[in-house]
Amino acid sequence: MIQMFHVTKAYPGDPPVLTDISLDIEKAEFIFLTGPSGAGKSTLLKLMFLAERPTKGEILIGGRNIARVRDSSVPFLRRNIGVVFQDFKLLPTRTVAENVGFTLDVIGVPRDEVRDKSVKMLRRVGLEHKADVSPLKLSGGEQQRVSLCRALVNDPAILLADEPTGNLDPALTVEMLDLLTDVNARGTTVVVATHDASLIARYRRRTLRLEHGSLVSDERGHKAAKLMTGEQ
Amino acid sequence: MQWQREPTVSVAAKLSYFVRSATGSMVRSPFVHVIAIAALVLSLLGYGVARIASSQLDALMASLGGDVELTVYLGDGASGEAVDELEKSLANRTQGLVRRVSPAEALGRLATQLGDQGRALTDLAENPLPWSLEVRLPEGARDPASLAALAEKVRALPFVTQVDYGAEALERLSLISRAITLAGLVVFTLVFLTAIVIVSATLQLAIFSRRDEIEIQKLVGATDRFVRMPFLIEGLLQGLVAGALALGLSFALVRVIESEHGQMFAFARLSGRVVVDWLRLGAEQVGGGVLLGLSGSFLAVRRFLRV
Repeated sequence: MIQMFHVTKAYPGDPPVLTDISLDIEKAEFIFLTGPSGAGKSTLLKLMFLAERPTKGEILIGGRNIARVRDSSVPFLRRNIGVVFQDFKLLPTRTVAENVGFTLDVIGVPRDEVRDKSVKMLRRVGLEHKADVSPLKLSGGEQQRVSLCRALVNDPAILLADEPTGNLDPALTVEMLDLLTDVNARGTTVVVATHDASLIARYRRRTLRLEHGSLVSDERGHKAAKLMTGEQ
Repeated sequence: MQWQREPTVSVAAKLSYFVRSATGSMVRSPFVHVIAIAALVLSLLGYGVARIASSQLDALMASLGGDVELTVYLGDGASGEAVDELEKSLANRTQGLVRRVSPAEALGRLATQLGDQGRALTDLAENPLPWSLEVRLPEGARDPASLAALAEKVRALPFVTQVDYGAEALERLSLISRAITLAGLVVFTLVFLTAIVIVSATLQLAIFSRRDEIEIQKLVGATDRFVRMPFLIEGLLQGLVAGALALGLSFALVRVIESEHGQMFAFARLSGRVVVDWLRLGAEQVGGGVLLGLSGSFLAVRRFLRV
């Protein structure tokens, strides 16, 4: 689903943020992307949803070389990729349902269908009763769930989450990861960037570790957990 | 993986979304849009007043022209047939009313005009005034250039001593009219450019205030056109509203001028009414408003909306 071949990313006048990254993420995989702050996790995710272009190397998403994707086609790539951020990025002037439906408005879904699908998605995360409330009146965990709904309402093939539990307490963190694993179980490829070693140890999924912009390890299951607990 | 394209949605449905998005934004942040609309209204109202004044000036010139007469003074040697011929020729050429005025009638008229001082004229031994032909010119024959040409031709006749037609007054009015038109063009070009800049500035503010929304739109797969359209429609709506308001204010202004409260504008009224082609003025103000609004929004989107 996501393949990178010798990808390097550097900004003009600065040392490379990512160096010679090669990886292969299969369809319906659940991946943790970890590493210390500044390792390049967020930049790697940005490359995946074309917020940045690689300086060198190739990236294939769904078998398509995104280096050859024209700027005008980027929106259509992004409609297949849901993204969740640490700071939720919800619009305070819209209701919860309107925030979720934003994705559907953009792709031209008829108005009456937008409302139905948004409410249905909110029901999945237990927030149907808050559909007409402002996001400002929600807790951090609830806001993140709304953000997740917006990312998933369009049924994307890929979900990228950049530190989705960064602003959540431990209980909500587990709740969020449970949701993400549930999404993954339904067939969505999920990539979660996190520096929270306890999550990796708990969920024991394939883990890619970055340090100073390089991929230093790619471990699966209990080996990844062992690596994390060993570091602790 | 199937790359998602847009589902089949009617143009009307898309437009409805963009209009809702634009109007929603205007309702949420009314202040900046009120400023833009006010600037446009002032520009378009000024334009409307100038157009009304211009049409009044044209009508005034036409009415003044009704008093324009072409007077041909005849020499003593003029034969009856030649004068008849000239009379017919002037009538045919100008489609005006030609009247022969005798020296006695002319002297009597002059004495009346001079009042007390005119009594001395009646005691004159000899009447110095000649026979003349007076031509009352219809509207279509008052063009200074053609009158000058006619006067020149008639002056060339051997029995004609002089031709008068109020050349100076007509040319002056014509000059004034041209000067006003030119000045109007320059002033309104500047005013309209200023209005466009103001509209553009308000939409820059709107774009800035919605930068978070735009970021999310791009994140979830909005095309550039999707992002830009609501702002273009905001500009269009600003212009539409401003044009309608300007038309309404122009109408109200004319009603005031025509009412008893508009005595100071009496000079501008003809037969008690201000002559305005409302359909044309409405189309110009509303159409002009839309054009200005769209120009301002296009400028803002192109320069400041980085998608």
